Order: sequence, then structure tokens, then C-alpha cells
Amino acid sequence: MKTYDVIVIGAGNGGLAAAATCAKAGLSTLLLERHNIPGGSASSFVRGRFEFEPSLHELAGMGTDEAPGQIKDMFDRFGGDVDWCSHESTFRLIVPAKEGDKDAFLNDQGVWVTVDARMPVGFENFARKLDELVPGSYESCMKAFDLSGRMFKALDALGNPKQLPSSIKDLPDIMRMVSHTMKEALDALGMPEKAQDIFNTYWCYMGSPASKFDFLYYMAVLHSYVEHGTSIPRLRSHEMSLAIDKVIRDAGGEIWYNSEVTKVLMKHGKPEGVVINGEKEVYGKYFICNSSPNSVWKDLFIERDIPEKQLRMLNTRKVACTLTTVYLGMNRTKEELGITDYSVFVAPYSDSDRQYEAAQNYFSGYCIINCLNEIIPDCTPEGTCQLFLTTMTFGDVMKDVRPQDYKRFKTKVAEDMIETCEKALNISIKPYIEEIEIALPPTFARYLNTPWGTPYGYMLEKWDSMIPRTVQYMQDQPFENFLFCGASQERGDGYGCAYYTGEKAGGIVVKAIQKEGK
Amino acid sequence: MADNFKSLKAKKFLSMLSDRQARFESGKAELTEISDNAMALAKALHPKRQYLKIESITERGEDCRSYTLVPDGERTEKLAYFSAGKYLTVFETIEGMPVTRAYSISSSPAEALEGKYVLTVKLVEGGLVSRFIFDNWEIGRAVEVSAPSGNFEYQPLRDAEKVICVAGGSGITPFISMAKAICDGDEDFELTLLYGSRNYKTVLFAQELAELEKKCDKIKVINVISDSKVRVKKADEKGFITAELIKKHAPENEPYSVFICGPQQMYDFLDGELGKLNIEKKYIRHEMFGEFRNPASQEDYPAGVPEKVTVKVKVQDKTYTVEGNSADSLMQTLEKNGIAVPARCRSGECGFCHSHLLSGKVYVPKSMEYRRLADYKFGCIHPCCSFPLTDIEMEVPAAK
Repeated sequence: MKTYDVIVIGAGNGGLAAAATCAKAGLSTLLLERHNIPGGSASSFVRGRFEFEPSLHELAGMGTDEAPGQIKDMFDRFGGDVDWCSHESTFRLIVPAKEGDKDAFLNDQGVWVTVDARMPVGFENFARKLDELVPGSYESCMKAFDLSGRMFKALDALGNPKQLPSSIKDLPDIMRMVSHTMKEALDALGMPEKAQDIFNTYWCYMGSPASKFDFLYYMAVLHSYVEHGTSIPRLRSHEMSLAIDKVIRDAGGEIWYNSEVTKVLMKHGKPEGVVINGEKEVYGKYFICNSSPNSVWKDLFIERDIPEKQLRMLNTRKVACTLTTVYLGMNRTKEELGITDYSVFVAPYSDSDRQYEAAQNYFSGYCIINCLNEIIPDCTPEGTCQLFLTTMTFGDVMKDVRPQDYKRFKTKVAEDMIETCEKALNISIKPYIEEIEIALPPTFARYLNTPWGTPYGYMLEKWDSMIPRTVQYMQDQPFENFLFCGASQERGDGYGCAYYTGEKAGGIVVKAIQKEGK
Repeated sequence: MADNFKSLKAKKFLSMLSDRQARFESGKAELTEISDNAMALAKALHPKRQYLKIESITERGEDCRSYTLVPDGERTEKLAYFSAGKYLTVFETIEGMPVTRAYSISSSPAEALEGKYVLTVKLVEGGLVSRFIFDNWEIGRAVEVSAPSGNFEYQPLRDAEKVICVAGGSGITPFISMAKAICDGDEDFELTLLYGSRNYKTVLFAQELAELEKKCDKIKVINVISDSKVRVKKADEKGFITAELIKKHAPENEPYSVFICGPQQMYDFLDGELGKLNIEKKYIRHEMFGEFRNPASQEDYPAGVPEKVTVKVKVQDKTYTVEGNSADSLMQTLEKNGIAVPARCRSGECGFCHSHLLSGKVYVPKSMEYRRLADYKFGCIHPCCSFPLTDIEMEVPAAK
């Protein structure tokens, strides 16, 4: 019986990057995926004459050809063939006015709002625009970008604990950024509250509000978007996933789809193999697992084999947010509909902590509207466009819904989201819906096999944020030959974050096997 | 406002790492279940398989039978709920050949809650699976099916409030489910059924339809009888379902949807007819018509295709080389050689059989083309609707 150098469980973004790293280093690599296509969240689906982007809003840090960002750099190194499309924009934040709001004004689309911020690319541009919207915020905004610029230079060293003390010692500011929340840091920088609300718009990409999330990680994300704008693959995320699938095959790795790991086999207290679809056994020296720890411990192990620390971790961490997305194939163009932006964040309240509070319930009024045609004009047939609307919730928000109520429930949620967008943009959507698909937490749970269907892993709070997770990565892993990757790990959710964890776990295994060989 | 950033304590960082591990230490060292109805719903609505048994069989004319399926009580306790219009894929093994067929559910969603699905099977001339079912399915027999699948259903945010449902032959089945769901209050739209049959003898579910129409004023049934020798009833129509006929029964001055389910020829004819009505695309929904036959009859089918081809296929760590016929889809060829293929809709649409074409060329009928854009770029196919034009090398996922 063949023993693989490495068996990768799950072909999500992390698993794909891990398997590609191992296969390209010459390890005998088997990637197992329970679905019929790769990518997990990074996929696509067809309805009628539309092919929808299921999850990707924007890729940060694509960089330029001369100075590629992390994702572009990885695809270039892998030789993964993806046609990237970029767009010079960040976000637009709209907070519709409520009755009695004293600072309400009528925006150029004829909507009463308290905030309407369309933020440009470029640090200087961004800071100037913020200052125009909230006078007195320029300086603090530029200081924040200066901090993130310096922090980025040191970040690369953080993956290696040995280098950590020397790179951190010189940079107390970075320690300040890691150990303080967005709110604490922006207050200290003297940024006016209203400017902070706009500045913090991307909080939902990490799923943790300003009072809980560390300033360093937020700045890493915001910095990347403001520096280069946004990028997406031309043929939906399915193109990225199939590109890595090809990299793995070309390097001699194997990928078995429809092959679900149903059990991990143990020998002398560590994993030695897996059972596939309840019937077939395969053996490996190392395992990289892209599946959610919750599902792994519950479904693949018997309790006595689970390291105590892993159970304690499960019981300490909070499951991150869940998403609801409405995919719309429209039989009108974006111009006919009156859509002018790629990404509009509509929020019921201006500050992220109140948005977070509201998102404990369905439907909070928080909704992100994306129009793919804004970046890829011909991504749908002539005379049409595609939109996707996203909201997030926290907790088991589906708890009272029975199977027989589900269709009515999800139609109602979708209708509420659509109406929120219609009002916020003063446009009409409903009459022009040619195709619609609604993904609620059960949909994500079905495809991602995570608690509550979260694509985000565990909540990134200051105490359990990126830097501590990165520094303590090895000591948080369950067995010396079994490493996790994906959204549950160092950087939380996001394509680039998952790729990073996969490449890193793959690199650790490659090194270990090379060492054994010597 | 002043910049006080330096007043933030950098030292706070130093305790973060030990604090984090201490926090983990405080957690319970036991496997606790969190309340997770999202996952519970996902599993209840989309079980991997459902293990059923046949409770009763109803004859519906000469070559059509309805099978009532209930949970086997061992591996399946409860049936997955569904919205009217969905199908089940049936898994069978015929003389060592693993095969699948998709059949629309003709019972109502409410009946699923009571533990009952009804599948209605029409005997297809020369049909392998329908013949097998007619010969082998008897009361008490075990039947394995998929979760309810498909996209043919009423969607209130997209479809008009009034729907003209056009059915031909056994294409009536999803509309029976929809009509029952309307009666039960589980769906809310006005359903006008134009049901094409040769004569009254071949009308399926005649009694049920009459009862549904009587019970619920949102349902209207019009039989369209093509045999010119038959005297049609007052409420019914003669001839074929044409644009004119649809218009006659459609509401005036308000939008209406047209749902179609029937044999391949009916779609070909109706596509032309619907073009005359100038209905927006969003208001026309087709159910898939199942396996595509005789690809060589298509205009864009290339010349000079050999009759016999060799197909080399990798499934997990096994490789098989088999002989196939270019008139069969790659899925059929593999099944005929005893190789199980992941299959659901067999119409190109669901993508469940998504596979890698490693070398060779295939023909895909235009009407079955539902691949993703990146699939073309990276050579991926849906074997259920891919017909080999040359020798083929491919990799197919395991059937699960």
C-alpha cells in the first residue's frame, strides 16, 4: 500500500495552496475533497445565462507586475494561469438617514443619508477625501497609513518566530498596533469619531468590530486596498481554483474529488491515514487539514484521540460571523439600473460596534452591494448585469427555522435585502430579476462544513488576533504531523489569508520531509 | 485632536502571548456541541442519500406507474423536505451496471413531511432504467435516491404571480406537486395548466387534476388534445400548444410566467412559438429533459466521427480502459462498463459529474451547455452530456 508524503484534507483555498506547495517541491501529494470541484468558497455557479461569483468581493494586495502582492506572487511562483482584472476603487459607504437624524442630507441620488463616502485609491487621495467629509481627519489618517507602511516591512519576518524579537524590538509602534483595538488606536491618533466610522468600513471583511479588532491587522487590510485598489479573476473564482488544480496535477500531485475523509486513522498517538467515503483507506506521513477544527474533531476523531488543548481551544474561541448572499442576474444593464459603484456598503448605523450589535439578528439592514460588471463589463450577456448582495450575522440565527419554513424564510430575507438596496441607492431592482439564488447559513454550512456555515473561522478578537496566532502557530497544532490551514488559522478569512496558511503549512511539511531525507 | 499614539503601552504586547495560552487553558477539555441549526437544516434538506422502500404502486394507464416511497426506517428516518418542482435521482444497479435516473417528485412538499414521496415513471421505448423499474420495483423493495435537487421551482421574487404551465406526457409530474403545494398553502401563485396529450386515455393524473381544480380557485386545468378524431370537452382545447393558445389563456396586460416540462421535441417546438409572444426571458423557465440522444442529428455535429472510441479513465487510484460508442455520452459509456460516475441531473445542468478531460475531443449539444467559463479554459467537462469525437483520456471523481 502506497504511503503518501502528504495528504491534504479539503481543497479549499488553503488546501489548494498547501497541495501545490508540496507537489511542486516533489512530495508525493494527495489532495482529498468531498465536493466535485475545488475551491470551497472560491468557485462559481451557473443559472440560466449567468455565471455567478459566489464569495469573492475583492482581492487585496495584488500589487503590480514589478512589485507583486502576496496573491499575485503566489500564482506567479506556482505558474497558475489567471487573468486578473483590477479596478481603481475602494468602497462607498452609505448610511441612510433615520427619522430625527440632525445631520441628514440629500445625496446626489436623491437619498437622505447621514454618511455617503465614496473613497478613492491612494493614501493621499483617501486622506483628503476623508478630510473633506470630516474636516480635521487628514493628519490622523496619514499617520495611520504611515504606521501601516512601516508595519508591512516588518510583517514578513513574523512568520518566523526566531526573527520575531529582533524585528519587533526596534518597532514599539508595531507592538502598540497589535495590542490595541482599532478604536483605541484611532482615538489615540486623534481621528474624529465620524471619520473613524468611514475609515473602519472594511471591518466586516474580518468580522470583528472596532472595539474588538486589533489595529495592526485592520491597517494591513485597509492599506492593501487603498494602495492598489481591488482585483478579481476574469472568470470568477473558479478560474483561480482550477488554475491551482492544474498546478498540482502538472507537478505530479493527485486530486481526488467526491472523496470525503470520514475518519482519521491513528497509530501510536498520531495520525497515520484516513478513510475516504467510509470505505477506502489511504496512508500518509503528514497531513494538512483545510477543514474546520469543529467538524474535524467532531466527525473524524474519537474523543480519546483528541489532544486536550484542541478541545480547550474549541471551547474558548467564538465562531465567527456567517453570511447571507443574494445573487441576482438582472435583465437590465448597470447603467439602466443606475448602479455606479462596484462595492457599496449600506449600514443601518455609522459605527461598526452598533452594526455588530444589530447583526446579532436577521436582517439588520446591513448590506453590501456588488456589481461585477463594474470591473468586468462583459461578465454577463449584452443588456444584462449581475449583482450580489451580502449581509452578515452572528450566532445561530437560523435556530427557529424548520425545513418547511426555509423557503419562505429565505425569500423574505432576500426581499428585505433587495428593498434595503433599492432604498439606499434609489433604484429599482425587483422587476428586472431574471435569475436569483439565495445562500443562507445552511447553504454555506452545506458547502463549507463549518459551524453555523461560517466562512470566517473563529472570531478575530484582540486576544486571538493575527499576530499571536502567527507566533503561536506551531504550539497550537494538534500533532507534529497534522497541521491546520484555512480560515480557522492565523489570518482568519479571505482568499489571500487562506492561501498564506496553506503555503506556510505546506512549507513546514516540505522542510520536515527534506530533513528526514538527509 | 492631538496625536497620543505614543501614550499607548507597547509593553501590553508582551503579555499577549501568555494571556492567550492561559485563556485556552481555561476552556473545558471536552467535546461540547454548539447549537447549530444552520448545519441541522443543511443536513435535513440535503442528505447525501435517502434510503427508502416502496410502500405502494399505482397504475396510471398502460405504461405509467406511480411509486410511493417511504423511509426504510433504518438508514433514513425522515424524508428531506423540498419545494415543488424538484427531482430525485434514483440509483440502481442493472446487471452490474451502476445507473441513475432523475424523476420529478409528483407528490407535495406536505406529503414529504408525512413521510411520503411519489415518483411517477413512464416506460420509455427501449429505455433501460424505466424497463428495469417496471420489471423489478415491487412493494417492499429498497430504493436509494438523492436529496431533492434541481432549480425548477416557483420563485416569488423572480416569477410572475400568474404562471402558464405547459406539460407534455410525463412532464406533468412537477406540476402536480406545484398544484398540490398551492392547495396546501405552501406556494402562492395562480397556475394555469396547458397539458398536451394525444387523447384522454393518455392523460395522466386526470382525476387528481380535476380534484385540485375543484378544491382551489388558483388552479385551472386545460387539456390540449392532439388527436383530431377525439371530441374534446368544453373547457379543453384541440391541437397543439401554440403561441396563440398560450396567449388565449394568459392574463391580459399583466406579466405572466411560462413553465415548461416535457419531451425534447416539445421544447424545440415551443422555443419557436414563445419567440412570437415577446415574453421576457426571465418569465420562461424550462425543466431539463434528461438524457440527450442521437447527437449526430444535431446541425453542428462534426463529420467523420468514428463509431467506436477508446476511453481511458482514472477514478481515484484506478485506471480503466474501455471501448465506447460515439453515440453514447461518456457517462453512458462508463456506466455500461461497470464504472460508477457521480451523476444527478444527466442534463448538463447540475454539474455534479464535473470531470477533467485529459486528452481527446468531445461534442456537447448546445442545449446542454451549462459549464462554467473556467471549465473551457482548463478542459473540464460534464460527462453526462459530452459525446466523444475521438479517443478520450479523462479523470472522473468517485461516485459517492
